[in-house]
Amino acid sequence: MKRSNKQAKQKSEKKSVLSMGERLARLFEIPSDVIGSRPKVTAVGRGEVLIENFKGIMDFKEDCVRINTSNGVIKVMGSKLTIKEITSEEIIIGGKVSNIDYDA
Amino acid sequence: MFLVHLWNYIRGYVIIIAKGKSVERFINICAKRQILLWNIVRQDESSIICMASARGFKLMRPAAKKSGCSVHILNKRGLPFFFKGFKKRKGFKAGLLVFGLLFILFTSMIWEIEIKGCEEATAAQIMELLRAEKVGLGSFKMKLDPKKIASQILIDMDDVAWAGVEIRGVKLTVSIESAVEKPEIVDYSQVCDLVAERDGLITGFEVLAGSTRIKEGDTVKAGQLLVAGTLEAKYPEFGTRSVHAMGRVFARTWYEGRLPISYEYVRRFRTGERHENTFVRILGAKIGLFGNKVPYEQYEIVSLDKTMAGPFGTRLPIGLTVETYYEIKEKVVQLTREEAEELAKEQARQKLLSQLPADIRLLDEKVSLVTDDSGKEYVEIILECEEDIAKPVPIGGD
Repeated sequence: MKRSNKQAKQKSEKKSVLSMGERLARLFEIPSDVIGSRPKVTAVGRGEVLIENFKGIMDFKEDCVRINTSNGVIKVMGSKLTIKEITSEEIIIGGKVSNIDYDA
Repeated sequence: MFLVHLWNYIRGYVIIIAKGKSVERFINICAKRQILLWNIVRQDESSIICMASARGFKLMRPAAKKSGCSVHILNKRGLPFFFKGFKKRKGFKAGLLVFGLLFILFTSMIWEIEIKGCEEATAAQIMELLRAEKVGLGSFKMKLDPKKIASQILIDMDDVAWAGVEIRGVKLTVSIESAVEKPEIVDYSQVCDLVAERDGLITGFEVLAGSTRIKEGDTVKAGQLLVAGTLEAKYPEFGTRSVHAMGRVFARTWYEGRLPISYEYVRRFRTGERHENTFVRILGAKIGLFGNKVPYEQYEIVSLDKTMAGPFGTRLPIGLTVETYYEIKEKVVQLTREEAEELAKEQARQKLLSQLPADIRLLDEKVSLVTDDSGKEYVEIILECEEDIAKPVPIGGD
């Protein structure tokens, strides 16, 4: 809930215009992750972060992984970070996660 | 998760180390090109170690070039790499082929025969029949026609009502239903008398139909009328009626037998010499291991069979046979008078007993020694028994 609020705030700040499709989706109450090209972050415990729908990896270090998405950069910080899996649609980051940051 | 690992293992994967200025670009390009990478760990500032599918690795070269990274293989894991090592091993391939052939060969033979539904004696007969038809352990399934075998069993064996032969896997099952003995159908409409089967002294009778012509204590001869089928009425004007006479007439009868006494007896005895032959039995074939032809002219064989046991208590058709041959010599032995008599008595008794009908009651036995005119000595044995001597004989006419 917090997250979607954050994103909504981001949206209103960015002043992005919702497309027709997105407006229809919201009218029909279709879950938000189905529509649009927005990234979805799923964090399980402190050891796994799954990010879907991203553009690419910008940076990969043991303590910081930066992912480029259509909404900005997501920074995952921690220690002993590894990329468990990476495909064109999703990336799973493993290790000891301490921060998930959204950077503009 | 395990399944994914298994799948990767089956397809084969490599562990590579990628070095370069921007390994992230390398990862991005791989991801875009659907080359699956996993377990990516940063080694140091400019290198990462990751795992990639063997198929994906082949497509990695241009990706690496584009991102300016060098890729080296650290390790190869998976089934495809495992099998590569077998390419050179021709013997292995040959062995595998031989195994396959042997397997097919052995599963197209019969390894077990079961006969069920009847008792021992008939089962043994059926086994003999099968053996005559060349059906046994080791015969090929293709050559056997279950229907033909079943019909053969029905033809050859009298007391089998139904035979079913089934081949399932390597087992041949013969199911038998024994024929119930047909009850003797007595034709009650036919008129008959009861006559004596043999001579005897009447001890008792049970008459169900007919008029009795004898009484207890009478001596009758074979063929004499015991119970008549024609009934005469008290008042002669009513005429006679004919029935099928039925009943049992018990009489004391005698059987006698005679056997000459001989004072010589050929006795077979073991000399003490023995010879052993060892065989290995596989599916009915006997392969000699030790021993050769038996050096004795006359011998007795004692066979010791050991069959290998398979799992779950089944018996494999592989076994060891040790045949021991004991030399036998025949010696003519002189018997004493008592011994000769005893022997003759026993032989005479056995011979007589085998001639008696089944439902007879043995009362007494009389043994005597007889010398005839030429001086030859005999043992005479007379058995006194009680039996039913009534025999139905049809009356002609009516």
